[in-house]
Amino acid sequence: MPLTLEIVTPEARVYHDTIDSVVIPTVGGEIGVLPGHIPLLTQVEHGELRVTKNGQTELLAVSGGFAEIEGDRVHVLAEHAITEAGIDESAVEEALKRAEQQLREARDIDPQQYEHLQSMVRYSGVQLAVKRRRR
Amino acid sequence: MASTRDIRRRIKSVKNTRQITKAMELVAASKMKKAQQAALAGRPYAELMARMLAVLADRVEEAQHPFLVHREVRTRGIILITTDKGLAGPLNANLFKLVTEIKTPAKYAVIGRKGAQFIARTQRNLLADFTVSDRASFAEVKVVAEFMVKQFIDGAIDTVEVLWPRFRNTLVQVPTLLPLLPLTSVKAAIADLQAATGGSAAGTRPAELDQQLLFEPDAATVLNALLPLYVNREIHQQVLDAKASEHSARMVAMKTAKDNATKLLGDLTLEYNKARQAAITQEILEIAAAQFAAA
Repeated sequence: MPLTLEIVTPEARVYHDTIDSVVIPTVGGEIGVLPGHIPLLTQVEHGELRVTKNGQTELLAVSGGFAEIEGDRVHVLAEHAITEAGIDESAVEEALKRAEQQLREARDIDPQQYEHLQSMVRYSGVQLAVKRRRR
Repeated sequence: MASTRDIRRRIKSVKNTRQITKAMELVAASKMKKAQQAALAGRPYAELMARMLAVLADRVEEAQHPFLVHREVRTRGIILITTDKGLAGPLNANLFKLVTEIKTPAKYAVIGRKGAQFIARTQRNLLADFTVSDRASFAEVKVVAEFMVKQFIDGAIDTVEVLWPRFRNTLVQVPTLLPLLPLTSVKAAIADLQAATGGSAAGTRPAELDQQLLFEPDAATVLNALLPLYVNREIHQQVLDAKASEHSARMVAMKTAKDNATKLLGDLTLEYNKARQAAITQEILEIAAAQFAAA
């Protein structure tokens, strides 16, 4: 029995396919999901999501969100999600540099902004890690 | 009668205007299409969120989340979504009319330059103004949403409401004021999400799977993390809706302007031909008269 994985963000449905297994980064650590997993609703952390299909592993970078597993279906609700091919390394690097710069310079920046920047830094870092993994 | 040269000059200028308005109409039309698609692209997300909330709502006794606490309303918080540029017909003016009808004390956060100018000019209480690109990505809108939520939590404002031009169809955009926070209940939020997806979401899961559903870390924590996301999504959706409204209003305004220019051009061409004909007749008359006198 194959597994159906669906990843949606507010902007689009990023991924929708039948797969063999998936590893999801959650707040309690990574969890591997195979068909027949017990129903689960959990919070997703920034990190890399590994999808295995026909022996091939595909990587996606996801930022915070939620995952729901029920029977043979897995739904991931993420703020951002991007496939490995979609990551533009140089653009991300630049964004990361900008955000880090702002974080360094910011002394009395309001906490909201600070958090936003930090989450950007984390997500950028994840994207780079995903992209560079194969080399 | 105006000289032919004057008329020709006017024709030229009207032609230019028509060309510009025509180009703007086409641009607005393509942007409108994109904006509508973007608004639809959020559907699967709303669907999934409705399902998750539905599961959680059954599990958690009406949670003690600050979003659900109703307190006495002293100051309302209103997010006003306007455009950056004008030339969109009465779109912004209609919104401002609604703003002037708000008599109770309110603080505003504004998206779009036009709105910021209006609030500043009429000396209302402007908390912050933002600009959002045409793409209106989730990250951009999140900043606005989180800013307002923070004000709400801190007690600076007692409600969060959104005022935006709701997209009905290409010709009709209705200024709408919608209360967002405090939430009436989690169930109301679910109903709202379902409405956004056309009522197709949730309610489809087998009951026996529901029984053994596990939560990590626990149901209340997940719900508390999900609620802010719900608010962000709502506001994002309304911004996308406002963008669709903006572009369709601009398209219609530009189409009217183009049609007017075409009509004016017709009138002017007629006048020009008349003036030209009159000049020719005049000239012939003069030649004939001169010849007659010489003979």
